[in-house]
Amino acid sequence: MRQNHRYLRAYMAGITVPTMFLLVVVTGFTLLHRVAAPWERIIMFPMAVVPNLWGVWNLLHCRWRWTTIGMHGAILPLLLVPAGFALARALEVPWISAGGAATVLPVGMVVYYLAWKYLVAFFNEVLGVA
Amino acid sequence: MSGDELRRALPPVGDVELQRDLWPAMLRRREERRVRPTWLDWALAGVAMVWLAVFPEAIGVLLYQL
Repeated sequence: MRQNHRYLRAYMAGITVPTMFLLVVVTGFTLLHRVAAPWERIIMFPMAVVPNLWGVWNLLHCRWRWTTIGMHGAILPLLLVPAGFALARALEVPWISAGGAATVLPVGMVVYYLAWKYLVAFFNEVLGVA
Repeated sequence: MSGDELRRALPPVGDVELQRDLWPAMLRRREERRVRPTWLDWALAGVAMVWLAVFPEAIGVLLYQL
């Protein structure tokens, strides 16, 4: 079984962390913004785009392994942050500004580096694609 | 195939006991695979925490990107 569907398992290992973390995200939004803002527009990016990109990004890491998994994960915000900002603008999500997105990029890369090095690597190990 | 034929085709396996204890090797392997945080990882986590303390208004934006 371990030899089968390697890339599917890599994808599944990748989406696990952001999917579980979504509960934290929703709680954080609720506490920080007392969300009166439109939920269906806010949640689109963290719920639909982020986990899928994590899955595909992990699949790419398992396919090529061009660098360490931490460094590979740290690069992902370079795609996610502009994409998130663009979608927020398109959906008219409040409180997401260009300045805020730029400010969040470096610390996002740090958080992603640690999350991929420890969490995604752990799930890759569990699913046999490490 | 009768029972006798089946027994003849599959002779009993002798000495099925393990020749050594596998548990220490299992523990050693687990220990080898455990990733220990380096000083750089602790430093990065500290920087991230300080950053969040200095810019609490950006936490929502960060959560949105995660």
